[in-house]
Amino acid sequence: MFVAVPELTDAPVPSPSPAVVPAARVHPLRRVMRAAAPYLYLTPAVALLIVWTYRPLIQAAQLSTYSWNLLPTTPMVPVGADNYRRLLELPTFGDSVWRTVVLVVGLLPFTLVLPVVVAFATRGVRGRSRAVYQSLIFAPFLVAPVASAAVWQWLLDPGAGVINRVLGSDTNWIREPATAQWVIVLITGWHFIGFAVLVVSAGMAGVSGHYAEAAQVDGATRRQIDWWITLPLLSPTLVFLALMTVLLSAQWTFPLIDTLTQGGPSQATTNIYYLLWDYGFHSFDAGLSAAAGVLLFVGFGLIAGVLVWLSERISFHDD
Amino acid sequence: MTTSESPVSEPLWRRAWGHAVLVAIALACIFPIYWLLATSLRRPDDVGSLSPIPWPLSLGNYVDAVEKVDVIGLLLNTFAVSAVSAVGQLFVALLASYAFAMYSFRFQRLLYLAFVGTWLVPFQVTMLPNYVLLYQLGLINNLAGVIVPTLCSALGVLMLRQHLDSFPKELVAAAKMDGRSSWSILWTVVVPNLRPALAALSILLFINAWNEYFWPAVVLQRSNSVVQLGLRSFMGTEGNDWGPMMAVAGLACLPVFALYIVLQRHIVNAFVRSGLK
Repeated sequence: MFVAVPELTDAPVPSPSPAVVPAARVHPLRRVMRAAAPYLYLTPAVALLIVWTYRPLIQAAQLSTYSWNLLPTTPMVPVGADNYRRLLELPTFGDSVWRTVVLVVGLLPFTLVLPVVVAFATRGVRGRSRAVYQSLIFAPFLVAPVASAAVWQWLLDPGAGVINRVLGSDTNWIREPATAQWVIVLITGWHFIGFAVLVVSAGMAGVSGHYAEAAQVDGATRRQIDWWITLPLLSPTLVFLALMTVLLSAQWTFPLIDTLTQGGPSQATTNIYYLLWDYGFHSFDAGLSAAAGVLLFVGFGLIAGVLVWLSERISFHDD
Repeated sequence: MTTSESPVSEPLWRRAWGHAVLVAIALACIFPIYWLLATSLRRPDDVGSLSPIPWPLSLGNYVDAVEKVDVIGLLLNTFAVSAVSAVGQLFVALLASYAFAMYSFRFQRLLYLAFVGTWLVPFQVTMLPNYVLLYQLGLINNLAGVIVPTLCSALGVLMLRQHLDSFPKELVAAAKMDGRSSWSILWTVVVPNLRPALAALSILLFINAWNEYFWPAVVLQRSNSVVQLGLRSFMGTEGNDWGPMMAVAGLACLPVFALYIVLQRHIVNAFVRSGLK
């Protein structure tokens, strides 16, 4: 499952459609049709958006004020802000938020730092060999999460797995509370790193060479050029990747956690996304799950807002 | 993708260093995938072997896997779900992006932001109300229930809109002069000229749908009828039967890899372009 985050800030305003040659007398019905046309084209998409995204968002907010166990036969009992109070008193909730922060920060080396280093180190590689490397490092991005869970479970198996046999250890990486979270980070990073490298390379391709040339004439070293010119010009790409890491950690880690650890061992991999699932479909506490969901949505909105604001502030636009 | 001509000439040692870095990363990325396929192709008695080349090759693990799980049925189900989902998303996105690119109308920005905003809504947040709605529609444990919630793809709308914004407007204007309706212009002028973009997007949507885990896990709680869930339940019941498990995992990736081997450059470009505004 993959989404792309576009520029949230300035959606391009399309140029007005070319003027239609004014007909002597346009039939009024046709004029109405012409004005309604864009809305008619948008109807299926917007209807689906409302039904599957915005309606449930509002309903989740309503649901968060009820106590309900998801069974159609039991009544929903209004409890006001009780779910939120319970949630904030539960140590699991705070812990899971903290684990989510650790997860996202742990992913950044894979989605931001390493890709930038690799993209810079490999500028000189061109042509056919470059295409071969690209298709190899991109491949993990297309592996289904469950298949990758299966193969990593095999690689990390305490007795027969390759990794332990090469290291000569018998650590049960997935079942150790100290390492389970890092296994999830490693696998997610493995999925994502190739994609991030290609995004950074594409971003670098879009940076004009004139500034570097001018700086070189002024006697700047290559390192100075990279650090003070190329990297700042790449900032929109970097902000995009950071935003992507935050937004996608929800989608990418969930299948891995659900198949490998089910949130264990002793809650070590229960991040906020898995906790919502657990409250909803294991504890059948719909109100609590919805309340946590509302808080998560607000948090997401704030983080995205801050990142977009940052990109506006620090972006050096190349114009 | 080639990087812009850097003004600094690249000495040989730097190129060699670049190759070394890329080889290391490429090996690390490809090894798990290679190991998955290598394990699945070993003889069932050699599964634990560490030899890098699976020799003698054997399909024994695949035979075992097919005996234990109805892999073929799962693959057919998954293929049907992914194909219907991709075609549906493509159609809905095409109509919506056509409206955004070819018209100016009231609430245009607001509606556009409504599409962008879907990324701020993690599906774990909307999961319960959607589950209840699917339940009321009688779509739980039904493949249609996996498809319907995914039909509106904001990704598709944004990507096609970018392509349509750079579409030669003269063509559309000329067709308008002929007095053709916007509907016929869409199908006779725009779609034929947009074929490469539509093909790239449909592959991307198909791969996303094939690898989808969350919706099937919510909707098919008791029937495990797509390959991702079949593999999950296999992992649960046959915990340490690595050979057949790798065979099922390999089959779960097979169509995507087949597409990738044939169309790798297009797929890479489609995904990367979708990630750049």
